[in-house]
Amino acid sequence: MAMMMPPRMNPSDSASGPKQHQSWSPYDNNGGTCVAIAGSDYCVLAADTRMSTGFSILTRDYSKIFQISDQCALASSGFQADIRALQKNLDARHQTYQHQHNKQMSCPAMAQLLSNTLYYKRFFPYYAFNVLGGLDDQGKGCVYSYDAVGSYERVGYAAQGSGMQLIIPVLDNQLKSASPLVLPKRESATPLSESEAVDLVKDTFASAAERDIYTGDGVEIIVINAQGVQKHYMELKKD
Amino acid sequence: MECLFGIQGDKFALLVADTSQVQSIVVQKTEEDKIMLLDSHKLLATIGENGDRVQFSEFIQKNILLYQFRNGIPLSTSAAANFTCGELAHALRKNPYFVNMMIAGYDSEEGPSLYYLDYIATLHKVKTGALGYGAYFILSLMDKFYSKNMSLDAALELVDKCILEIKTRLMGAPPNFVIKIVDENGAREFAWRKSVEDNTGPPSSAPAPLTPVEVSSQA
Amino acid sequence: MSITSYNGSALVAMLGKNCFAIASDRRLGVNFQTIATDYQRIFEIHEKLYIGLSGLGTDVQTLYQRLKFRHKLYQLREERNMRPETFASLVSAMLYEKRFGPYFCEPIIAGLSEDNVPFICTTDLIGAKQYSSDFVVSGTASESLYGACESMYKPDLEPDDLFEVIAQALISSVDRDCISGWGGIVHIVTPDQVITKTLRGRMD
Repeated sequence: MAMMMPPRMNPSDSASGPKQHQSWSPYDNNGGTCVAIAGSDYCVLAADTRMSTGFSILTRDYSKIFQISDQCALASSGFQADIRALQKNLDARHQTYQHQHNKQMSCPAMAQLLSNTLYYKRFFPYYAFNVLGGLDDQGKGCVYSYDAVGSYERVGYAAQGSGMQLIIPVLDNQLKSASPLVLPKRESATPLSESEAVDLVKDTFASAAERDIYTGDGVEIIVINAQGVQKHYMELKKD
Repeated sequence: MECLFGIQGDKFALLVADTSQVQSIVVQKTEEDKIMLLDSHKLLATIGENGDRVQFSEFIQKNILLYQFRNGIPLSTSAAANFTCGELAHALRKNPYFVNMMIAGYDSEEGPSLYYLDYIATLHKVKTGALGYGAYFILSLMDKFYSKNMSLDAALELVDKCILEIKTRLMGAPPNFVIKIVDENGAREFAWRKSVEDNTGPPSSAPAPLTPVEVSSQA
Repeated sequence: MSITSYNGSALVAMLGKNCFAIASDRRLGVNFQTIATDYQRIFEIHEKLYIGLSGLGTDVQTLYQRLKFRHKLYQLREERNMRPETFASLVSAMLYEKRFGPYFCEPIIAGLSEDNVPFICTTDLIGAKQYSSDFVVSGTASESLYGACESMYKPDLEPDDLFEVIAQALISSVDRDCISGWGGIVHIVTPDQVITKTLRGRMD
């Protein structure tokens, strides 16, 4: 009886069957954390600048944020080789769109494109945990959060990567986003001002860098608003 | 698909258990009494692995009685529950008993009490509880319809709702249930809910149920 | 499901100015089914020493009973209460005794010394002690708790402020963990009194 099976007593066991040697994996996890917050007329995207493999640091100043269009940027954590390929893919598609339609893609349209691109490789996925941020057609901030195979949702704020679990409860506490199931439909944007949002992001990264070994070195923050794109940078702990 | 549940009401506690004895795909018996009288004011209902279930509950019953004989005073429900939990915990890392149970009792000062005790010796005092596959269907029913200090009639209505839900929605649901009650007058069989009468088998050869020794200090 | 996440739990303790706070969730579950919403995980050893136990429920109860027994024995022999540091060593030793068949519990010990200096400490399931000068966390929601506490904690908070911080940190963290929650309980211990408050959060 399934109910009566004693819980697996060995905490390290995760699979039954004979022990096997480590085999080659096409994936690696380069760590890192990405956060985005949508405001009423701005969007803040941030990612740490550490790239690691296993317990080693490969570089301390790697950018995980990719500017796809004037109004849209992608922050991704996971396997950076796959992420690079994904960025190039999206960029190529965006350029084609610009040639064909004589305008840039809007952020919601890019969101759908990214979802389709990820699902296209459903059976050999991009090891990429993405957060897309920008301004929507009305000029309001929008943030989209993805899983590795393209399931996405528009949200008021999002975090992905190794520090996700550390950061999300703090964002919940400060931004108090309503459940998307609550009716009437609430705004996805947060009530914070732009500078407050940037400060919140800096604080959460500082906290995540304390406790997560894969997050640190520095945090790159970009703000997309009606005036364009502004970049900030903050140092984080190097340990 | 064994089921066991209990409700604590106003000055009483009820335990309800199915009465099917099953081995593989065969129902050997439909009137197996799984609720044991530990003493005059305590009930122990058990479900789980066949041999362990009977052996463990008899072992507990005899030990509860032994305490009474040695000390001239019966155990409180809380003490009996904790003793049982201790025995399970002690055996857990040696030779575990795969038995889930609920303990109901009545003490003169405390009033009625009900304990949930699962096979890995997690003990918790509850007002309503359920074990077995039936729990998936009736825990929410009990949350909705239970109120503090329910009267006996209201509690029986809830019991019948639960039994109906189990019979309707659980695959391989047991046809018969026994309801036992414990209150200030003692622990006793209260009612049966039968869908199937089993008159074909030989008369039960089990010895007559043990009459607990009445100790004068039990109010 | 892993054995340490069978029943679900969340525990946190924080140091304040001459006081400490220890908080836990109230859920007792069996995998994804909720059995009770009033489960006790924080126990008083003596009026200035509390232990919170996360992990498997049966081991929480067994370990508490064994520790209570050992402390009572200590009181009889030494005619005084155990100091928090000593108690932490006792917990560590008892857990390591079962090194190759451990109790699936991760305790948090919090207490005030005789001169009312607050002390907190946690150990892993086999007794590796970790002292801290700010906060300690334990349970299935521990990663979320680390993030929340790291952001919200400030040193030398007064009891009222400490309560706010620990309550917010606990509630935000358990709201992101489906097997812990169903409210919370906080004990704030100062040299003069113990204030116990229950928290109401998302009941799901």
